[in-house]
Amino acid sequence: MSIRHGLLALLSKGPRYGYQLRVEFEASTGATWPLNIGQVYTTLSRMERDSLVAPGGTDDQGRAVYTITEAGREELGRWFSTPVDQAGRPRDELAIKLAMAVAMGSVDVQAVILAQRMAAMRTLQDLTRAKRTASGGLAERLVLDSLIFKAEAEQRWLDHCEAVLREKHS
Amino acid sequence: MTVVKLRDVTRVHGDVHALKGVSLDVARGELVAVMGPSGSGKSTLLNVAGGLDRPTSGSVTIGGTDLAAVKDLAALRRREVGFVFQDLNLIPSLTAAENVMLPRELDGVRAGRARTEALEALTEVGVREIADRFPEELSGGQRQRVAIARALAGERRLLLADEPTGALDTATGDEIMRLLRERCDAGGAVLLVTHEPRYAAWADRVVYLRDGEIVDAAAVRLESAR
Repeated sequence: MSIRHGLLALLSKGPRYGYQLRVEFEASTGATWPLNIGQVYTTLSRMERDSLVAPGGTDDQGRAVYTITEAGREELGRWFSTPVDQAGRPRDELAIKLAMAVAMGSVDVQAVILAQRMAAMRTLQDLTRAKRTASGGLAERLVLDSLIFKAEAEQRWLDHCEAVLREKHS
Repeated sequence: MTVVKLRDVTRVHGDVHALKGVSLDVARGELVAVMGPSGSGKSTLLNVAGGLDRPTSGSVTIGGTDLAAVKDLAALRRREVGFVFQDLNLIPSLTAAENVMLPRELDGVRAGRARTEALEALTEVGVREIADRFPEELSGGQRQRVAIARALAGERRLLLADEPTGALDTATGDEIMRLLRERCDAGGAVLLVTHEPRYAAWADRVVYLRDGEIVDAAAVRLESAR
């Protein structure tokens, strides 16, 4: 998850101080990725080092206010115009677990699938409930939809694994 | 309060055992989803639960009435059970309102009252404004809403839905699920057959069917959040 680009996007709407960035970030992603204030300031200072943002004095309560730089705007534009690299994702523990279960031969693979399916359905139910009660508008809804589609993909893959295994055994 | 109750239900078609001892309850306010691969017995389960088909053994009770003791299943169905299918079965030459009215009129309800009920049902599903349009003039989502209104008219408490989102895009499918969910929250009972996890996730309970048997149910029960 690119906190850096998320913060740049918020700063492109105008100068912000750290706490405000945290609140707006969470609001626009439906509180799906909670940020702590330390992460916000660490990210801001790295972006300041990279000349993507500049500290712009303080607000009336003495809080440091940050402004996006021209380089920051270019970086943000690049981010929006570049597809997310799927290969950059961490290794998929579930796929490895199932592969190992099949390879070992002594593990009840159906039971592994069933347990995972239960967990995946509970996740999907939680996300659906969150969507039903969501009041945060379109951005929040789309973030929840993204998580729902991913949870659904896992379920479909598990169904597929089960069907393939049944076919091999019959 | 249990609206429909199945106990040790089997259904044999020739030498095919479509259901092998299924027990399932759906209570008022509850949305239960049945999932499973094709051929697992999902549609047979729905047909038996709604009195469209009789079990080979075991019992089915709707609203406290054991179907084994009912001679005229059609009358009981029309009074207690609404059906929604993927294939909507709206009659093209009738308006939305007339489609909703039809089963009620067949049941002996006078046209004036049937129309009032139809308009109420169409209002409940959010498409009152298209009451006088014909099915071909409606979007897929609107047509499915009309089919649901038809299933609800006359205060039937049990709604059986077989892949009601099948022909719809996901955003429209979500709207239909929201509607079914609201129906349950208002005291209805819905038994939904779907092969899509995203729609099953709207349910309080998800039941997996394999080769005519429930392989797991309670484990996915939602901790009562409502």
